[in-house]
Amino acid sequence: MIRKFLSIFSNPRNLIPIIATVAVVSGLVAALLSPPDLRMGNLVKIMYPHVASAWLAFVAFIVTGVGSAGWLISRRMHFDHTAVASAEIGVMFTAIAVLTGMIWGQPIWGTPWHWGDARLTSTAVMFFVYVGYLALRRATTDPYIRARRSSVLGIIAVVQVPIVYFSVTLWRTLHQGFTVRPDGINLSGSMVFTLFFNVAAFSLLYIALSSARTRLAAREAEVYQEEGQTAGSVVTAPSLEAGR
Amino acid sequence: MKRFWAQAGRITLRDLLIEGRAGEGLAIILPFGVLALLVIPLATDASATLLSNLAAPIFWLITLVFGIQIAFRQSAAETATQRRMLTMLGLDPVARFVGRSLSSGIILLIFLLVLFPIMLALFQPEVEVGLLRVLPDTLLYVSGLAMLGTLIGDISSGLRNRTALAPLLSAPLAIPLVMGASQAMLGSGQEDGILTWTILLGLSNLLIAVVSVLTARTLEEAAL
Repeated sequence: MIRKFLSIFSNPRNLIPIIATVAVVSGLVAALLSPPDLRMGNLVKIMYPHVASAWLAFVAFIVTGVGSAGWLISRRMHFDHTAVASAEIGVMFTAIAVLTGMIWGQPIWGTPWHWGDARLTSTAVMFFVYVGYLALRRATTDPYIRARRSSVLGIIAVVQVPIVYFSVTLWRTLHQGFTVRPDGINLSGSMVFTLFFNVAAFSLLYIALSSARTRLAAREAEVYQEEGQTAGSVVTAPSLEAGR
Repeated sequence: MKRFWAQAGRITLRDLLIEGRAGEGLAIILPFGVLALLVIPLATDASATLLSNLAAPIFWLITLVFGIQIAFRQSAAETATQRRMLTMLGLDPVARFVGRSLSSGIILLIFLLVLFPIMLALFQPEVEVGLLRVLPDTLLYVSGLAMLGTLIGDISSGLRNRTALAPLLSAPLAIPLVMGASQAMLGSGQEDGILTWTILLGLSNLLIAVVSVLTARTLEEAAL
């Protein structure tokens, strides 16, 4: 049993998910142990998963856009598999970013949702754009046609990323401005470390999840190729060799 | 170039002819839009102050929802056979996109022109609307929504759940258009400029047009 357990670690494919899980758990523990903020107190601890989730969502949607453009240019299915893997992860982490933002907003603003917060509102819009992207993919079974349709939407949808990112400067908003700026970081030393550790841990988690989902998407396409044959294609000429 | 515009013009005329016969946009969706303008005051207890404040956003919201319906009207949907025939006849996919966007835009503009005075009469908006100042923004809104509707219609063409899926795909992407048009209308009667909103509408139009033109051939292949 112990040998079986240890064999998990010997497979290089399992290493990234294991390291990512350990890193995310460590990051969350570090967030819990981090010092309270002068004004927000312990509520600041929700910032770590919130910022890391939002960062991961941005990365995931940019990869979806790049994958979509890559498919349109090269017609290689690998790009489409990468795009869908990233979109699914992005939707999940956008939902986490919005939810943690709402939980954070309740004690800070006195309400979980404030229309004066352009970042929160634009993130919610981005979420629905990509929910639509996934719904479009579900509506088509043929992998090639699905890639054709969704790659166009993947390119249009990626415009949401800069809109959400720069929403804190484009509109008057309740959301705080950029924490990391060219002239310095608006946080104390241990908080900066915890924040960057969480961002790195969530990035590792993204790599682990997206590589697993990309492999699954490739396998799904293979199964479609095997099972999606036309009626009658299984009927072949009798082989005289078979009886001997 | 002349051939391109001739093709686009023929597609527009064909779509308008079908609309004239089927009347889906102007005989069904338009009365439904007017009905929605009547239902909203009843749902809000007909509070004159509230309705007067919300007049512009409600108007643009209704044009968005019903504009999407106009763009995805069943009578404008082509079957794979029809598209195959048009492709074999040598129709340029971009000309087809331009033609279809133009026809949807014309129907949408008529929809807006009918709905606007009704909204003024029913909601009596508090803000002064500068009609001439808001006209370019309205045209940009109409063209943006028509192009977006055509693009999403092409992306979802032939799908069984197209009527449910297409609004989900287009509504979040149309938000900059609604924001721009609504804010331009609210600011048109005031001293403040509405240039920011015109730029937003213009950029949205440009983006949709560029993506649509670049991907027209790919989507044409997907629909066949």
